[in-house]
Amino acid sequence: PRPDVHPLPPGTHLLYAQSGRIEHVPLEGYEMKKDAGKALLHLPEKVIIGVAYDCVEKMVYWTEITSPSISKASIDGGEPTTVIRSDLDSPEGIAIDHLGRTMFWTDSVKDHIEVASLDGSQRRVIIDSDLVNPRAIVTDPPNGNLYWADWNREAPKIETSHMDGSNRRTQAHINWSARILATADRRKVIEGLQYPFGVTSFGKNIYYTDWRRDAVVAVDRHAGKESDMYQPQKRTKIYGIAIAYAQCPAGQNYCAVN
Amino acid sequence: DATSGSSSDCQPCPCPASATCAVVPKTREVVCTNCPTGTTGKRCELCDDGFFGDPLGQSGPVRACRACKCSDNIDPNAVGNCNRETGECLKCIYNTDGFFCDRCKDGFYGNALAAAVGDKCKPCSCSPLGTLGSQVSCSQVTGQCECLSNVAERDCSACQPGFFNLQSGDGCERCNCNPIGSTN
Repeated sequence: PRPDVHPLPPGTHLLYAQSGRIEHVPLEGYEMKKDAGKALLHLPEKVIIGVAYDCVEKMVYWTEITSPSISKASIDGGEPTTVIRSDLDSPEGIAIDHLGRTMFWTDSVKDHIEVASLDGSQRRVIIDSDLVNPRAIVTDPPNGNLYWADWNREAPKIETSHMDGSNRRTQAHINWSARILATADRRKVIEGLQYPFGVTSFGKNIYYTDWRRDAVVAVDRHAGKESDMYQPQKRTKIYGIAIAYAQCPAGQNYCAVN
Repeated sequence: DATSGSSSDCQPCPCPASATCAVVPKTREVVCTNCPTGTTGKRCELCDDGFFGDPLGQSGPVRACRACKCSDNIDPNAVGNCNRETGECLKCIYNTDGFFCDRCKDGFYGNALAAAVGDKCKPCSCSPLGTLGSQVSCSQVTGQCECLSNVAERDCSACQPGFFNLQSGDGCERCNCNPIGSTN
């Protein structure tokens, strides 16, 4: 069978979902090498929402809402494999704990957050109350924490918990009209955002996808301003975004040693 | 392949007007790269998320991709608002339901198509004591719950005049007051 994935060259890449494709843009330092942007894989019959990267096995994971599922593929080439296909309604954000070898995702119809091993086994709902429109989710593997966003129009918020769902706390209540980008400790990075969908960070930069400009926007978190923007030729909404690290960030956590 | 030296080296893109195309180097497969707004797919044969139709007429007449038609009862911030082919609405809000989010969902009543959100769908809130079989749904239009015998009000929360004992859960009983000693 022909490989569906166009292998990525070595180095660090931005991965983002757009219109049934996962595309990549190489990063040279923190610069997006826009001319080298290409499709990693093309699944035109799918609507891919969330993207995550496992730096250990060099796999990209994604959520898909047309026939709701979670799949993975090696960035070195090969065919996609579906790891979860049952009991999903609208899986959106996905995040990986590369140390604990687990994945977390939000479902905006079931209104809950689940965890499973990277092969799809040992599924468990960890948060199932007070969620209206859960979407983005990120892991903090060295500290064993989760963060997620709920864009509930009435009361948008960012919450955090341990990776088993315990110690749940509200990190921030969001004002819809504020349009700011801030860090978890509530430090404002920039204001005047247009329509952010997905966000990821790498070193000094934060990269987010923008539904108004159909673009990937780079923000220098120290300078507090947009430093670059990449608009793919195809002008449609860009969904999830993730960094494919050349090497795993250092660190270990409780789950990794148990 | 412009280098093979025949008159058919370059062929027109198998894509709708104005869309460009490219050949995948490894597989020689031709893929449209710039499908018209709202369309996607290798041949621009599918609708993008948030649109529905059948742009090449693969399963019936040609239907250009149009934005989901859900009676203004979806949130543009949501993903997967409608089925990409049929247009069936999948993420109705304001307690609406139906193919076009055009009716109230079970347990709610009112006018799903009302302009103001507050006028759309309100909860039936049927009184569990006065409602037949403890149903939670009511008439879509009037909101009338299905009451037990001799029970009144839209939400079946009171006995009809001259009846008592809603608490029984079996409907209300006649008061049986002595007409001589009663004021009504």
